[in-house]
Amino acid sequence: MATEPLDLLQGTLDVLVLRTLAWGSMHGYAVSRWIHQRTDGVLEIEDAPLYKALHRLERAGYVAAEWGLSENNRRARYYSLTLAGRRQLKAEETVWRQYAAAVFKVLEPT
Amino acid sequence: MSSHHRKLFRLPWRTSRQIDRDVDEELRFHLDMRVDALIATGLSPGVARAQALKEFGDLDDARRYIEAVDHDIEAAQRRSDIMRDLLQDIGYAFRKLRASPAFTLAAVATLALGIGANTAIFSVVNGVLLRPMPFPRPDHLVRVVFTQQGHPDASTPMDLVDNRTRATNFVGFAAIEGATANLVRDNADAERVQGVRVSANFFDVLGPRPLVGRFFLKGEDQNGAQNVAVIAEALWKRDFGGSPSVVGKTVRINSAPFMIVGVVADAQRYPAAAELWIPKRFTAEELNDGSRGARWLGLLARVKDDVPVPVASAEVTRISEAMEKQFPEVFRERRARLASLQEFLTGDVRKPLFIMLGAVAFVLLIACANVANLMLVRATTRESELAIRTALGAGRGRLVRQLVTESVILSLIGGAIGVAVAKVGMMEMLTRAPQNLPLIATASIDGTTLTVTALIALITGVVFGVLPATQVGRGDLATALRAGARGTRSRPGAHRAKRIIVVTEVALAVTLLTGAGLLLHSFRRLLAVDPGFRPEGTLSLKLALPGRTYDSTATRNFIRAMEERARSLPGVTNVGIANFIPLDGASYGFTFTIRGRPPIRSSDEPSTEVRQVSPDYFAAIGMPVLRGRGVSTADQPGTTKVLVVNQAFAKRFFQTENPVGQAIALGWGEDTTGDLREIVGVVGDVRGSALSDAPEPTVYAPIMQAPYSNLSVIVRTTRDPASLAAPLRAIVRDLDHEIPIYSVQTMATRVASSVGRERFYAMLLATFAAVALVLSAVGLYGVIAYAVSQRTHELGVRVALGATSDRISRMVIGDGLALTAVGVVIGALGSWLAGKLVGSLLFEVKAFDPVTVISVIAVLGGVAALASWLPARRAARIDPLIAMRGD
Repeated sequence: MATEPLDLLQGTLDVLVLRTLAWGSMHGYAVSRWIHQRTDGVLEIEDAPLYKALHRLERAGYVAAEWGLSENNRRARYYSLTLAGRRQLKAEETVWRQYAAAVFKVLEPT
Repeated sequence: MSSHHRKLFRLPWRTSRQIDRDVDEELRFHLDMRVDALIATGLSPGVARAQALKEFGDLDDARRYIEAVDHDIEAAQRRSDIMRDLLQDIGYAFRKLRASPAFTLAAVATLALGIGANTAIFSVVNGVLLRPMPFPRPDHLVRVVFTQQGHPDASTPMDLVDNRTRATNFVGFAAIEGATANLVRDNADAERVQGVRVSANFFDVLGPRPLVGRFFLKGEDQNGAQNVAVIAEALWKRDFGGSPSVVGKTVRINSAPFMIVGVVADAQRYPAAAELWIPKRFTAEELNDGSRGARWLGLLARVKDDVPVPVASAEVTRISEAMEKQFPEVFRERRARLASLQEFLTGDVRKPLFIMLGAVAFVLLIACANVANLMLVRATTRESELAIRTALGAGRGRLVRQLVTESVILSLIGGAIGVAVAKVGMMEMLTRAPQNLPLIATASIDGTTLTVTALIALITGVVFGVLPATQVGRGDLATALRAGARGTRSRPGAHRAKRIIVVTEVALAVTLLTGAGLLLHSFRRLLAVDPGFRPEGTLSLKLALPGRTYDSTATRNFIRAMEERARSLPGVTNVGIANFIPLDGASYGFTFTIRGRPPIRSSDEPSTEVRQVSPDYFAAIGMPVLRGRGVSTADQPGTTKVLVVNQAFAKRFFQTENPVGQAIALGWGEDTTGDLREIVGVVGDVRGSALSDAPEPTVYAPIMQAPYSNLSVIVRTTRDPASLAAPLRAIVRDLDHEIPIYSVQTMATRVASSVGRERFYAMLLATFAAVALVLSAVGLYGVIAYAVSQRTHELGVRVALGATSDRISRMVIGDGLALTAVGVVIGALGSWLAGKLVGSLLFEVKAFDPVTVISVIAVLGGVAALASWLPARRAARIDPLIAMRGD
């Protein structure tokens, strides 16, 4: 089984991917563009880790994949959130908000 | 489509190559899209591609990673698909089985019978033949067995000495000698106990651990050592309440005090029937070259762990050859070899038990055939259901799997119930098994047998499930669906399969019936044998006078008193006393010389069985005096020494001469010239050792002239012989309460139990054959009935065209008989094999016995006719109008 150590970036990437797919079913390229636009290019995310994350999430049962036709009529692999994925997203979101709030509390002048 | 859609419509499994191609396609799609987008912003294709690759990062690494992850996903998917299909199949199978209870019941009952019978017999075979004896390295535990000129021979004390001093491949040798003992405790009735005398190293050779106390010490078998005894767990619990304080207690064994030193666990008793072990001490005369002719001992030995048993066996054979060179006269052609203890104990039941195992496997085969048949019939009636499932996308493999699942579930249920059947069967078998079947008590349903049962059930399920399943999905889908509305008609292929199955069943049944028939026939012959005495109306009992208190005079007095008092019991007509009675397994032979004949070498002297009997013995047991006289009350110690011989003796040694008036010298006297006795009469022959064995030459000496301490009393009465047991016991107790009474049985019971094994085998095989017969009759009925129901239309047309109902039923019965006939012909081959197998178990019946063959064919034909007659009757009643409208 292919694994790699979880670091902050990977965990972050998983949340981003899940959040993106919460909008609806989309293929990997669309996920990549969407994250790129939403982060205004601030996070320099390469596509390789993104695809790894998609397949990893599929293995974990958070996303389901299925072949479909793209907007330009090509075969593309579409990803969508599963029920477990939605639950996971909610849990991770809560953790992230608490984490961010804590960091802000430290950073903000009192 | 999301993942739960996959539960309804399963995606096809992807191969490894397909997965890699999919990954490739996904990545290419991404790069192409990105390149197109960059070109749209005005970059040249080359620059755009480079830019896209740079944005992507490590492409090869990503591909490898994704491929690996996707393989995981695929594998997990397959596992869950299989699991889900299986659960679905199982659920579906249960619903289908519940929906047709008659079918399910028939199939499960058939299987339970087949599997149960197999489990029961296998448990017996496992307990008796396969499970190793409960001692360390049981494969190295052996008996030294001797043969002389091809006949089995026992050992002498000197054999023990020879092997102990010469053999190098053994841990040890121990002598063993049967010694039934009178056991007397304080304040208790005397008890007759099965015991053995053994060398002090016996338990070291055998290898059990004492349950309590210790076993014998070195030197305890030497003359002058203290008398010690080891007792069995059962005796310990029965007589001493299982208290550990038994160690050190003193009991009287054959009137001498013995100290109990240890207890051996019941599971580790050897011999299994023994309850008492005492050291065997040899006298100086016994350990003398002059005593090499007297053989009565058994030799137990343990081969060294690192020596193969055949090597050790060759060594004892060499020693026996060397001994023959040294003592050519007594040891002519005498050879030793080793037999494993288990083989030694079970040698003569091995073959019968394996035959039973084979027979019961046949029963299982027939059961399987029947269930396969039922499944086939059901598969045909289910054709439309299966067609619909195929139309909805179920593959053929899936349908086959479904059918096999059903059959495996059926057979597992059958197996579970079969275990209960086996339990009951075992109980029946154990109560009916003859006492002398070795190790039978250890037979039980345990882990091994349960595993075997589970395997049998599984294999059975697969075997009879696959066959009908091969018939599935062969037909034309559209036809099956169209026909579905009014029930389908069987295809010729399926019908042929059913007929083949029935023929197989009949053939198997013929084989079993022949085997059983032969054994039954042989058993009847055995029962019809004239034992040479009249067993009805007699009761017999055995007692042993303690040697220390009963010298010849005391023994004579006891015999006289016993005779007198027993005769005074109401209804008693004769009281006979003898040392050994027929069919009790005793052999007591001596060599002799005939007066007036030229002298011969001592090793060529003839031998005869010898019995000591009281005057009334012949009348009591019912043996006719053919010539001269029997034993008379006048034959006393002081009078002329006389003998009465049997017919076999007269014929063998005097041919046409009259033996009365001749004299022989029996080799049992202290005097080397023998004990010269005059023959005064000839009595009829009795079957002394077994009903199947020809009578041996035997001489009867007056017991008053040759008293013996082991006595059997036979009482003939005009009343119920069993009612004499209590008064006879009372007489003996009154004469001397230290004399134990044992083996109180009517002679009729003795005759019956002497053929216990034969009865047991015949009964078992007959049971199996009866089950086989019923099962194949059911199978035949099923096929014929089904054929009739399928031909309703055709038969209706025939009736309409003028066929009489007689003609119709003849046709149907003819069909059944034709199938039976084919089965019988094929079964004839099996019968021939069965005959060969059981041949050695037969008494006065040849392996090919026309009576048996004709009976088997008659029985089978009758049953087949009946099985076909029932559906034929229905066929004959077909109303052509209804039959043709139904089409």
